Amino acid sequence: MIKGEAGARISVGVRGAGTRANPGAGPMAGAGTGAGAGLGVRNGKIPVGDAGRDLPLHLFLSLSVVLTTASTLLLDLDWGRILDRIPRLGSVFRDMLRFSPERFSLTLLTLAETVTVSILALIYGMMIGLVLGALAADNLTPWKPLSLALKSVFAFIRAVPTPVWVLLVLASMGFGMASGVVGLGFHAAAFFGKVFAQLFEEVPEETVEAVSSAGASRIQIFFNAVLPASLSGILAWTALRFETNYVEAAILGMVGAGGVGYTILAAMSSYKFGRAGLAVLVVFVFALAIELLTTYIKRKVKI
Amino acid sequence: MTPILEVCDLKKIYRGSSKPAVNRISFSMSAGEMINVIGPSGAGKSTLLRCINRLTEPSSGRVLIEGEEITGVPAAKVRALRRRVGMVFQHYNLVNRLTVMQNVMHGRLGYMNAFNGALGLYSEEDKQRALEILEQTGLSEFLYHRAGELSGGQKQRVGVVRALMQQPSILLCDEPIASLDPASAQVVMEMIRDVSVRRGIACITNLHQVDVAMRYADRIIGMNGGEIIYDGPVAGLTERMIERIYGKPMSQLMIGGDVSA
Repeated sequence: MIKGEAGARISVGVRGAGTRANPGAGPMAGAGTGAGAGLGVRNGKIPVGDAGRDLPLHLFLSLSVVLTTASTLLLDLDWGRILDRIPRLGSVFRDMLRFSPERFSLTLLTLAETVTVSILALIYGMMIGLVLGALAADNLTPWKPLSLALKSVFAFIRAVPTPVWVLLVLASMGFGMASGVVGLGFHAAAFFGKVFAQLFEEVPEETVEAVSSAGASRIQIFFNAVLPASLSGILAWTALRFETNYVEAAILGMVGAGGVGYTILAAMSSYKFGRAGLAVLVVFVFALAIELLTTYIKRKVKI
Repeated sequence: MTPILEVCDLKKIYRGSSKPAVNRISFSMSAGEMINVIGPSGAGKSTLLRCINRLTEPSSGRVLIEGEEITGVPAAKVRALRRRVGMVFQHYNLVNRLTVMQNVMHGRLGYMNAFNGALGLYSEEDKQRALEILEQTGLSEFLYHRAGELSGGQKQRVGVVRALMQQPSILLCDEPIASLDPASAQVVMEMIRDVSVRRGIACITNLHQVDVAMRYADRIIGMNGGEIIYDGPVAGLTERMIERIYGKPMSQLMIGGDVSA
């Protein structure tokens, strides 16, 4: 019953619109069926969405189509060959699933190395990030141009992928985990500098004012008001960065910074897929464990 | 005897504004005096208070704390003088994540070196004094509660105790009861009056409520358009004067209250 009524009302609206769109029929006919019904009518139909508001979405979708087409043409992908080789991907994957315990202790040892690298890079990066973040935060910086300069440096460091930084460090410091720590820590420091500066800037001006009205110096304000007020944010970002660091550290082995990444690379290049498969599984299980742990900590520890 | 606070021809023009927020402000205060500042919104009450400890930088004029000039001196000297000027804020401005005790101890930071202050290494005497004041103000059961968990009235009392920890000679209260319910407002106002009477601290308080201002003051300063219109005892504040300060007839100023009550 209600449905029928609604339908009737819509049809009235459309008819009203029709008369409007056609001036020859007399404008008063449309007005008679109700001014409200003819309100938003376009091309004889009642639009439901707001075309103006949807414009960005339509632009985005059209742009995606254009970019996909252009990239495909540019890369000159041989789809025939790709489709031909897909079954081979399956066979490699099957080989990897035939886990082989060969040199498993080495896998575990290098995994421990990777974890160590990610933790060290996290701690160094965090300490540097706290200092630089405080210097870069608008409400704490001793000198505005310094804040701007630091923020630009953070953006630059973050724009260049970690493996590139590690390769640069490798070139000067030689192969090994130290290069991994320095390269990854470098990137983490820029990351922390940026997010910590933002956290510090979010601390309400009033809180800072209250402590400074007691005669506190800039350093005292930082440690007594700004740092405690942003502690939960600092912990959340650190937990997130630990996950990122771990994944990055695993990849870094493949560019020569040691760790489990190198073990996987070595096994793959000598066609020991079973060994590589087990190493990948161990990496995955550990990543999952980290994720579960940080989620648990974030939920339990209400800072 | 030098006055505790002396303000001479103070003027503040905010950037991008042509009209001064406060202008031609001159007055002085002696120890233990309680001044309440009234006036309509935008009269410059907050600007005046914030210029006294230079949270807002005055455009011209002088402010003297116990005879020492705070205007036109370097930052280190400003910090040293700010220790003698406690401030209480409308929104309490506590660090919500920290305990009541930690917030109260912030009042001591101005007296400590950067290292001890940064690490929160307060002296046992200071902590002892904090406990005493918290006990006197009925806050001893909340010592280790987070400031964020307290009610508005309790937060403001913690705010006053924090200011008292500075052992100030002047207390600036910027709309201390504007966010409180009537009962808490009364507790806080009585606490501020107690500070002035018993501890001999000069208190200057911005208020919106004329009746509250008259009940708790020795002296009233009425402001309008950034300037002082009235400066004198409570008894001299006639209805006509209140109407001049607010630029509105009395009937529009009171909501179910009598000024003389």
